[in-house]
Amino acid sequence: MNRPAPRPFSLLAEITHRCPLHCPYCSNPLQLAAEAGELATADWKRVLREASELGVLHVGFSGGEPLQRSDLVELVAAAREAGLYSNLITSSLGLSRARLAELKRAGLDSIQISFQSDEELLADRIAGTAAHARKLRAAEMVRKSGMPLTINTVLHCANIGRLEQIISLAERLGAERLELANTQYYGWAFKNRATLLPTRAQIERAIPMAAAAKKRLLGKMEVLFVVPDYYSDRPKPCMNGWGQKHLTVNPVGEVLPCPTAHEIKSLRFDNVREKSLAWIWSESDAFNRFRGTEWLPQPCHDCEFREVDFGGCRCQAALITGDAGVTDPACQFSPHRKLLTEFVEASQKDGDETALKTGELLFRQNAVR
Amino acid sequence: MQLPPSDMRPKLSSRARLQTDKVTGKPIVLYPEGVLMLNPTGHAIVSLCTGDVTFQEMVAALAARYKISAEEISPQVADYLNRLRERNLLETRTEAGP
Repeated sequence: MNRPAPRPFSLLAEITHRCPLHCPYCSNPLQLAAEAGELATADWKRVLREASELGVLHVGFSGGEPLQRSDLVELVAAAREAGLYSNLITSSLGLSRARLAELKRAGLDSIQISFQSDEELLADRIAGTAAHARKLRAAEMVRKSGMPLTINTVLHCANIGRLEQIISLAERLGAERLELANTQYYGWAFKNRATLLPTRAQIERAIPMAAAAKKRLLGKMEVLFVVPDYYSDRPKPCMNGWGQKHLTVNPVGEVLPCPTAHEIKSLRFDNVREKSLAWIWSESDAFNRFRGTEWLPQPCHDCEFREVDFGGCRCQAALITGDAGVTDPACQFSPHRKLLTEFVEASQKDGDETALKTGELLFRQNAVR
Repeated sequence: MQLPPSDMRPKLSSRARLQTDKVTGKPIVLYPEGVLMLNPTGHAIVSLCTGDVTFQEMVAALAARYKISAEEISPQVADYLNRLRERNLLETRTEAGP
């Protein structure tokens, strides 16, 4: 790649894989990193400084559950010192009033809390633990602290029927942003995709509901909803282009062009323990393999949408076809689209069958060795 | 374009942060999952969104600065404020300032 690398804008800092929840839709890898292998505080502080020097403006502290790291306040302070806008992406379990105050003092800019549903019974069944009531209290605490609040709900067949109620909950909690995130079938979630996939009827009901909420709440609460690619003709513009705007650093220090890039077994990821972030961003094979549009296969290479979706998602191509270098099978022009279409048709359920059947779901055990 | 009340005191939301971009040296507004790269006029407007300055005072200050009439500049200021509001980056109050 002769062209200079573009400027990255966001860093996802996955500071730990440890997590108190057991969500069946988790997109983290099947094999989680153990605490003993996690990057040290000093390494993370260096990563934050290097990211800022590269041009990164946003850092999301994520995981796993980032509150499981005892040095979180120190990392937030380092992000602030580097001029980064920080967001804590959390289940809120482990967020005490004192810790929130410390995080705020350290310069945390915003907090994103996940909700599994709007009502406790279902939410706790999805999380695999009694979390919902604690999340409600945490969200209220965050609002009272004056910290901007985002609510994120991962959608699947068991909760998408409650979209209206989920939107109401976010409004009631005073959220300024609501992410209605359809399950992405990577990592652990892929094991559960037959159970989690919403029906076509559910998606068709959800689309106008989300659009109406977005319009009604304009200027008050930002509402995000993207039609899931299993039901779309067009693939998602993977990370707005591979190696164009984003980098993820995982708990052990590997740098990934997207949070689920571990799905691509033919890639080797360089580690911040050995290389600078700048080198990895501009020179490493993992970031250059699918950067730009010159590498694109057919039918993408001659397609009018190639600068719109960049061939779609590399991880999905790898996961469904076994080859990360082909057109995303979600695309209507992909020769592999039938693999997704057949799966979607086979997964259509009657109305009653969209109830959560926990017996069919594989919950994460999160055993950290 | 309907103009906002002249006594409205726009304030940049607490979810937004105005700072200088390290790479370009230009002013930017950061907010959750987003960034606005400000041009000089945008920067002048955002800098006045302190919650202390009324819309009328803002227009007068900008008119003097860019040497054009208040009538000419006020729809542009209103439009810019409206775009900030739509991104949920503005708190607007019409009661007396602190």
